[in-house]
Amino acid sequence: MPMFDYVRAKSVAEAVELLADTQCVSRPLAGGTDVLVQVRHTPPTFQRLVDVSRIPEMKIIERQGDEICVGAAVTYTEIIESALLRETATCLVEASRLVGGPAIANAGTLGGNVANGAACADGVPPLVCLDALAHVRNSAGARAVPVADLLSGPHETMLQRGDLITHFTFPVMPDGARSTFIKLGRRNAQAISRLNVAAAGALSSEGRVIFARVVPGSALPRLRRFVEVENMLIGERPSEALFETAGAEASRAMVAVTGRRWSTEYKEIALQGLVARALRQVFTVEN
Amino acid sequence: MLIELTVNGRDVAVDAPPDITLLDLLRDYLNLTGTKEGCAVGECGACAVIMDGRLVNSCMVLAPQADGCAITTIEGVRAPDGGPNDLQQNFIEYGAVQCGICIPGMIMAGEALLMRNPLPTREEIRMGLAGNLCRCTGYQQIVDAIEATAKGRQKG
Repeated sequence: MPMFDYVRAKSVAEAVELLADTQCVSRPLAGGTDVLVQVRHTPPTFQRLVDVSRIPEMKIIERQGDEICVGAAVTYTEIIESALLRETATCLVEASRLVGGPAIANAGTLGGNVANGAACADGVPPLVCLDALAHVRNSAGARAVPVADLLSGPHETMLQRGDLITHFTFPVMPDGARSTFIKLGRRNAQAISRLNVAAAGALSSEGRVIFARVVPGSALPRLRRFVEVENMLIGERPSEALFETAGAEASRAMVAVTGRRWSTEYKEIALQGLVARALRQVFTVEN
Repeated sequence: MLIELTVNGRDVAVDAPPDITLLDLLRDYLNLTGTKEGCAVGECGACAVIMDGRLVNSCMVLAPQADGCAITTIEGVRAPDGGPNDLQQNFIEYGAVQCGICIPGMIMAGEALLMRNPLPTREEIRMGLAGNLCRCTGYQQIVDAIEATAKGRQKG
């Protein structure tokens, strides 16, 4: 007897209907890079996988007015290859480049990365940095939830049975804004993030910070923007001292939540350095 | 369930359970044992195949997901006379093959890279192989072999 059944959905409506079936516990399948590892280690908690990886509505990458829309079944490779995202969401493109080797990037999807809820997910800090909304559908209707609010803890999300993330939207950043993503792993390629940082920012014509976003990943049980660090940057002129102070503030904010754990001695110095480096990339004006 | 796909240019229809991986389908149902199982969790790349023009780890693709797809395995990489193609020949000439278990995946990663980037830099070759582990640590020779193949194909 197979452990589970498989069905390929052709549209969001069909997928939602299949996922709502009370006779058969179903779970969405996209790239399979998390689901297939999980079923190898633990017996599946579902009876059927609903393949959403080829639903055309979930594969779009487009600008809609002042917003960018990215389908949940878009792969990391498709993100890397998108000229629109390279221009408007550098942090997301950089994170996608670092997520794994080519085979992982060709299969793994942005929606899957969010739905899997791993604290070390590389795709999620950029989405939070971009203030992205996750658009979720189920048989009762559709709702839009800030990505940060969708994640309730390590490997825990607010998604309910029957929910399907269909796409993400985020506002286009202000003119002149830049974003970046930096990752610390145990090796350069195909590594799980020990820590990462997505950051974005823009300067006024007088050279002062008018827009700042700092989102460390793998740092807190619940991912969020470090508003305390962002506020400290606003109105300031970029300098090495400012980047270092902001890095220190990020570490302080992390430890305030996590307390001093076995990894703190390492993470507090590492996060300080990563945040400073990210801000340097975002705010250093090239001549 | 019936899974219909094209493998190395040949249309096949296989009756297989829905919960097996593409790797199991290739090895156990189609007897294409050139594709290797290493870690089985997407870390090592030994099971890499090309699916609709993209490198994938066949251990992480559910067999029915490949329905309707074109798959190229190591058995599909060869010269017109059936012998090793230029990339495989260069792996031999540059001493890139030691124990050999990673090599089918390395060749597929190399071919997938050259399909999209015909003249990659050494750094780009390394990135192309980022998901493939060689525990004999023969990476330099593997990079050399792919680089030589790219240059050879440019000359035509």
